[in-house]
This record gives sequence, C-alpha cells and structure tokens, in this order.
Amino acid sequence: MPTIVFYILTLATFAAIYGVLALGLNVQWGYAGILNFMYIAFVAVGGYVTSLLMLPPAQPALLGESYVLGLNWPFIPALIVGGLAAALLAFIVGLLSLKRLRSDYFAIVTVAVALVLWTIAGNDTALVNGWDGISAIPQPFFNALNLDYNSYGFFFLGLCIVILIIVYIFSERLYRSPFGRALRTVREDELVAQGLGKNVFSLRLKAFVIGAFIAGIGGALLVMSVGAFNPSAWTTGETFFIWAALLLGGSANNRGALLGALLVPVLFSEATRFLPSVSSSPQLIDALRYIAIGILIILTVAFRPQGLLAERRFKVRRSKLLAPELAAAGGGTGIHVEDEVIAAEHSNLVSPDSSAGEDREEEASDGR
Amino acid sequence: MQIIQSLLLSFGFGLITASVLAIAAVGLTLQFGVTNYINFAYGDLLTFGVYIALVINQRLGLSIWVGLVIAIIATAILAWLINIFLLRPFVARNSPPIIMLVVTLGISLILQNAILGIFSEQFQSYAVNTGTTLHLGPFLFTPLQLVIFALALITMLGIHILLRYTRLGKAMRAVSDSPELARISGINTRFIVNVVWLLAGGLAGLSGVVLALNVSSFTPTLGFGFLFVIFAAVILGGIGRPYGAMIGALVVGVATEMSATFISSEYKDAIALVILILALLLRPQGIFTSRGRA
Amino acid sequence: MAGETPIRATKLSAADQSAALRSGMDTLLEVRNLVRTFGALRAVDDCSFTVARGSITGLIGPNGAGKSTAANVITGFLETTTGQILFDGYNIANQAPHRIALRGLTRTFQITRELERMTVTENLLAAPHHQLGESFWLGLLPLPAVRRQEDENLQHALKLLRDFDLYALRDEYAGNLSGGQRRLLELARVVMTRPKLLLLDEPFAGINPVLATRLGDYIEALCREQGITFLIIEHNLALVERHCQAVIVMALGKTIAEGTMSELRENPAVVDAYLGEG
Repeated sequence: MPTIVFYILTLATFAAIYGVLALGLNVQWGYAGILNFMYIAFVAVGGYVTSLLMLPPAQPALLGESYVLGLNWPFIPALIVGGLAAALLAFIVGLLSLKRLRSDYFAIVTVAVALVLWTIAGNDTALVNGWDGISAIPQPFFNALNLDYNSYGFFFLGLCIVILIIVYIFSERLYRSPFGRALRTVREDELVAQGLGKNVFSLRLKAFVIGAFIAGIGGALLVMSVGAFNPSAWTTGETFFIWAALLLGGSANNRGALLGALLVPVLFSEATRFLPSVSSSPQLIDALRYIAIGILIILTVAFRPQGLLAERRFKVRRSKLLAPELAAAGGGTGIHVEDEVIAAEHSNLVSPDSSAGEDREEEASDGR
Repeated sequence: MQIIQSLLLSFGFGLITASVLAIAAVGLTLQFGVTNYINFAYGDLLTFGVYIALVINQRLGLSIWVGLVIAIIATAILAWLINIFLLRPFVARNSPPIIMLVVTLGISLILQNAILGIFSEQFQSYAVNTGTTLHLGPFLFTPLQLVIFALALITMLGIHILLRYTRLGKAMRAVSDSPELARISGINTRFIVNVVWLLAGGLAGLSGVVLALNVSSFTPTLGFGFLFVIFAAVILGGIGRPYGAMIGALVVGVATEMSATFISSEYKDAIALVILILALLLRPQGIFTSRGRA
Repeated sequence: MAGETPIRATKLSAADQSAALRSGMDTLLEVRNLVRTFGALRAVDDCSFTVARGSITGLIGPNGAGKSTAANVITGFLETTTGQILFDGYNIANQAPHRIALRGLTRTFQITRELERMTVTENLLAAPHHQLGESFWLGLLPLPAVRRQEDENLQHALKLLRDFDLYALRDEYAGNLSGGQRRLLELARVVMTRPKLLLLDEPFAGINPVLATRLGDYIEALCREQGITFLIIEHNLALVERHCQAVIVMALGKTIAEGTMSELRENPAVVDAYLGEG
C-alpha cells in the first residue's frame, strides 16, 4: 500500500476514534455542564478492560508480563463490558462527589482520582503490567476475517466509523429528548432546575455515567488501533487535548464535537509532524503542541466560548405552530414590552448569537 | 523498635516536606482566599522559580542562594503579570469560577510546556553542597534540610507578622473574608488582589526552589505534580486560612512520609491525593472552620 | 383549559375577596415557628403565618425582615434551624427543593433567572413535571406516549406564550430578552408547572407601571381561572393593596401581623415597624 494511503487511513481512523471520545465528553460537558478532568481515565478503563478480556491469560513466567483477566473473549461483548466498566467508575466517583461539590472542586477531585488510578496502574505490575503496559492486543475479528494487514486496516476504519455513527445517532437522540433538555436546564441554572422539580444530582450522575460509557467504547477502539497500551498514553494532559477539541469545535453541538475532534488532535498532531525539527529535541514539538492547546483554550474561552459550531437553536416547527386565528387572538391584553430595564447584566458568558448558530427544527419526539 | 526508629526517621523527613509544602500552601491559600477561584497554574509557577534559579546557578555560575532570591522576585513578577493580562479580563466579565479554572488550566499548559520545550525532560540538579548528614536525636538531617526548615519557619513568621500587624495584612484578611464589605470599608480591592498575586508568586518561587533542593533532581513537571499535594494541604486547612494551611502542610507532609514505612514509596504521592479526595468529600471547608465555600 | 380564553382582568373588591376567604378558610401553606439562623444571626426568628388556598397573599416588611430567607426555607433552598412548614397537609420542612416543587410549590427568584442559552419555548418546555421523556430510557426510545406528551406540552406552552404576549419571541434565546420580557417569561414558566402555590419574590421590582398593572392582572386572572394560590413578596405597597386579599407583615424575622391592608394600617405595631416610614 502506498505510504500516503496508509497515512490517510491512520489519520481517518484516529479522527473517527477521537470523534467518539469527543461525543462522550460532550454529554458530560456540553449537555450537563460537568467539568471533568478524569475523562482520560474512563478512556483508559475502557481500553484496558476490553483488551484484558480479549487477551489470552497472562504468562508471567514465559513472557515476563502479567495482567488480570485474560479471558479470550470475542470483540463485541468485550467492548460492551469495557464501556460498562468505565461507566461503573463514573458511577462511583459521581455518587460520592457530584452532590457535595461545586463544579471547580469537583474538577479537582476528578484529577486527583485520575492520578491515583494512574499511579496504581503503573506501580501495581500484576494489574495491567505496570508502566510497561500490555501489548499484542488482539484486533477485532482479525482471525475470523483472515485479511492481510493492509486490508484489515480498512476494515478497522470501517468498524470505527460504524461505531461513530451509532454513537452520534445515540447522542443526537439524547440531546433532542426531554432528558437532554432536562440536562441542559441543569447546565443553565441549577437552582431553576430544582425549582422546576428536576432532580439535579440524579441527572448529573446519569450524564456523567453515559459520557463515561462512550469514553470506554472509544478507549477500546483507541487501544485496538495501536495494539498496545501503557500509562504514558493516558496522562492528564490527554484529557485536556480532548477537552480543548470539544471546546473549540463547539460544546453542546455534536457536529461541533466532531469538527473539534478533527481539528485539534488530528490536525495538530499531524501538522506539527511536518515541521522541521527545531534543534534536536522531539520534545519541543510535543511541548509546542501543548502550548498551542493552552493558547487555544484561553482564546476560545475569551472570544468564542460557544466554540466554532455553536449550539443549535430550537425552532418550533411550522406544523406545530398555533393556527393563525388562535395566535392572533393574542393575550387580550396586547402588552408590547419595550422597556429595557435590566438587560445589562446578561452580557457576559455566552451570547447566543442568532447569526452564527445553526438552527434546528423542533421535533416533538424522535427524528421525523 | 525498628518500626519506631523508622517512624521517627520518616517523621523527620515529613517535617522537611511539610516545610516546603507550608510555604507553597500559604501562598496558594492566600491567593485563593482573596480571588475565590482555583489557580491550576500555581504548581507551574513553582517550576518557573525552580528553573530561573537553575539558570542563575548553572548558566551564570552563581550560588543557589542568589538564584533563590532572584527566583522569588521573578516568579512574583510573573504571577502579577499573569493576573493583569490574563486573569483580570475574565474577572471583569464576572466569569464563573469554573471558567477561571479553565483559563488557569490554559496558563498551566503554556507555562509548563514552555519550560519543557526549553529544558527538555532530563533531570537537572542545582550545584549545591548538601553537607554531611547530622544525627539529631532519632532524626537524620543534612544541613541543607535544616536550612530549608529554617527558611520555612522564617517565612511563616513573616506571614504571621504581615497578616496580624500590618495594615496591608489586615486589608488582605478583610478582602478574603468578604470582598464587598472590604470595598465598602474603603479598601482598594484591586490593589490587594495585585499584592496577593505578587506575594503568592514570591512564595511559589521560594517553595519551588526549596522543593527542588529537597528532591535534589527534578524535571519540568515538578511543580504540577506537587500541586495536588499543595491542594491537599490547603483544603485540609481551610481555604483562605493561612494558619490552617500551615497545619495542613504539617499533616500532609508528615503523613506522606510516614506512610512510606508501611507501603511502597512509589505510592507516597498517592497518599497526598487520597487525603485531598477525602478532604474534599468529607470536609471541604477544612478541619478548623465552620465557614464553607464548597 | 389553560389559555383557551385570553386572560382578562376583572376585579372584586379586596374586602369582598378577603371576607369570602376567611369564612371558609382552607389553609394551603402554614408556617409554624420557623427559625433560621446563620451563626449568631437569627434571620428568621419564630415566624408563623398561613396562606389560604385560592388567595393572593402578600408578604411585606422592611429590608432585613427575613422575607427572602423565609422564602428560601419554605421552598427548600435553605434548611430550617427549627420549625414546621405544612403544605397541603404535608410537612415539607427540609425536603429537597425539587421534591417540594413536585408537590406543587413553585417559586420565582428576585433576579430573573432565565435559561439563557435555551429559547423562550424551551424555557417553558423544560418546566412541566412528570415528563415521561425525562427518564433516560423512555426519552431515548421513540415511544408514542412520549411523543404525545411532548406535543401536548408544546401546545400548552405556545398558548401560554400567546397569553403572555411572548408568542412572537418563541424562537428567541431567553438571554436576549429585555427585562420586562424576562419577568413575563419567568411567570409563564412557573405557570407551566401547574402549581398549587406560586411564591413570587418581588415580581414587580424595577418594572414600569404599565407592565406592573398587566402583570398584576395576569396574576389575578391565573388565581381566578386556574385556582393558583399566590404568595407574593413585595415592597410596592400600592400594588400589594391592589391585588392581595391577605397580607402578612414580617419584621426582624418575626411575623408581626396578618390581615387586609386596611386592617394593617390601623395596627400600631405595623405602622411602627414599617408603614410609618413610607
């Protein structure tokens, strides 16, 4: 296979996987407004558990590596369980922390938890083979298909795209449902949500768990695409990468999430590959990437906090509008409210701008 | 007997760690108390101080103590500049704490990686003589460590005097307790905020250098890794409470070192993290206070 | 049902209404010996009052009287230190705010809190209780029952918007509304929840007299046509007199009097504490 094709194949696979990751984070951050810096830990849990289920039993004496599980499972069940494992972690963390803590403290707890897990994963060699990590991870359906290495690459890309589409549809449905609307209500104003009878804690916990499940799925794909996994692949910095992607692409907008997943990880990582090696340090490139991410985050929050593709506006469908006679009957009172008494205070955070946001039609229930 | 020996020894080490930690924690808690948002970049300010001192020490060949002084000044100025150009604009817009956290996160990424880009990941050390180890009762200290301990004590004393006896210190406490009330009483809160950043920056620089001296070799991730240990001390002592932070530092410093007697030393950092998590979940307002902001 | 007929304003005299209520007084909300302290400060200090079902009751008092604190405690956003709060027969003291809301006690806030990045219509759609689709599984699957409920809520919302004359703004982001429009939106939003008791926290603050009149008319119409009970915290005594059949006066954390405005004007304690000054 010509190098350029292989290159694009790898890029596309990477983009698809990152798309899944961004969509999951969107449920937590975009829909529910949860700031969570342990997202990469969910990705890792999904990756580890799926791989460990699919791997053959460890042979420490023979191969010098040891890990738990190793049950030779097929792909699909392993994938689901990997997602569930990540969801379980989120459930535990969320159950203990979401109720008591304001959002910035919660963010700190999540980093701390991620770091603890990372330390344990690295040091407890019996668990996931410590800092060396696991390798030779079986690829989904590899044996069944009996394809050569190159063709398999296309198959795997296809698999990732299929999963991406499924996750996308799922996320979109969730967004448009009353459940999604309840999450957004919590995001916008927790007090109002409570006053309207929404159980804020329960909703947040659900969003946290759902996002983690998707992260786990993405993590499994990520690990399989590389074939190996160790703690250096899931440092806290990685969460910020995904996070910056979502922030830039557009929070609460799934297409924005995909756009961000394309721009930030892929373009960044790959574009800088072509930079002439400045001095002799490869670390410089890496460092530059993160500096750029940092600048990007600050600029985005400063000038376009809603991201490139803003959250889409909900417009009442034509067919659902009131009949003209009913609409014109107008409150009988005919108030035309033109006073501009208080508008000032509401200018800060996000200015929902009618020009840039995409519109979306209301659908009373599912996508019709 | 062995265990007791070992525990006492590690207690001694814990005191030194606590010394380093106390300086950093006081700086962070003062800043947090006055500005009411978390500064994710604080650890990297420490790192900045560390590497300024390194440059002075290695490239210019001067004594590390000169490097220390310059690091303090440089980091103070950096912190102050960050506040003016990057943080204040967001505060002026009434950005919620979560946004401020995100901005400081961006700053952390930039700062940490700028240092990483320049100095790479190699371990570096200062050119300093630690001196021969002394036996002080059950404890084992190098003269360098004793200097660190002394520096911490002097700093704590200085902070104490500042807060208790100077007008500036009292103004800082006022703003920390209630910014609105302070403003109404005629205190120039903007000025106080600037002062707090200078102070926090200076303390960060100082604690960074002594931290580097204590661990003897370091990389650009030194400060960021230490940040969560600092958080643990700050939360434990109660945000905005410098005396609480000192106690918190003592507890965390000693606990992490003494834990090494029982569990593998790689998990030392994890102990601080666990303390942090428990503190946030069980008693976010700190063990001393009834005021809560969590 | 709701909003089929436009809201119109007609009035009984306050005295007539008050008399009618008191003869067959059916208490919807009763606050008994409520205490709420903040350290040494007794913001609410042994406060007791009742609100009759179907009434528009005012809660007045000088600044610092504890009205807002009491409101926060009643609606569950603050805990009681001691005391009971009986709503429709149940003691709701210290229940979670969302549970209290689900029982039919809804509130507005002093500074309007609209869901800024959601449209006006969405603000209303978020409001109704017991939406089937708000459960994760039910919301995900294309169930006819969910679809039907969504349609009904949407129609209800649109008609309500029309009644409040916000229909033209239905697709506008709530964050872009003017001050007066936000007030109306907030009222419409809580009305969507089909409450038994609406606690309004200074609904007339800072709006022009024309809008204030209309808002008052809306409140009266909602009370009359939908049977919603109102408890209104307010400083504008003229408006309180105009719309409230019963008034509770608080000062220094305690209730010092209950009655009609005319009765209260005669009450020396009230005049002393509050009315005398303005």
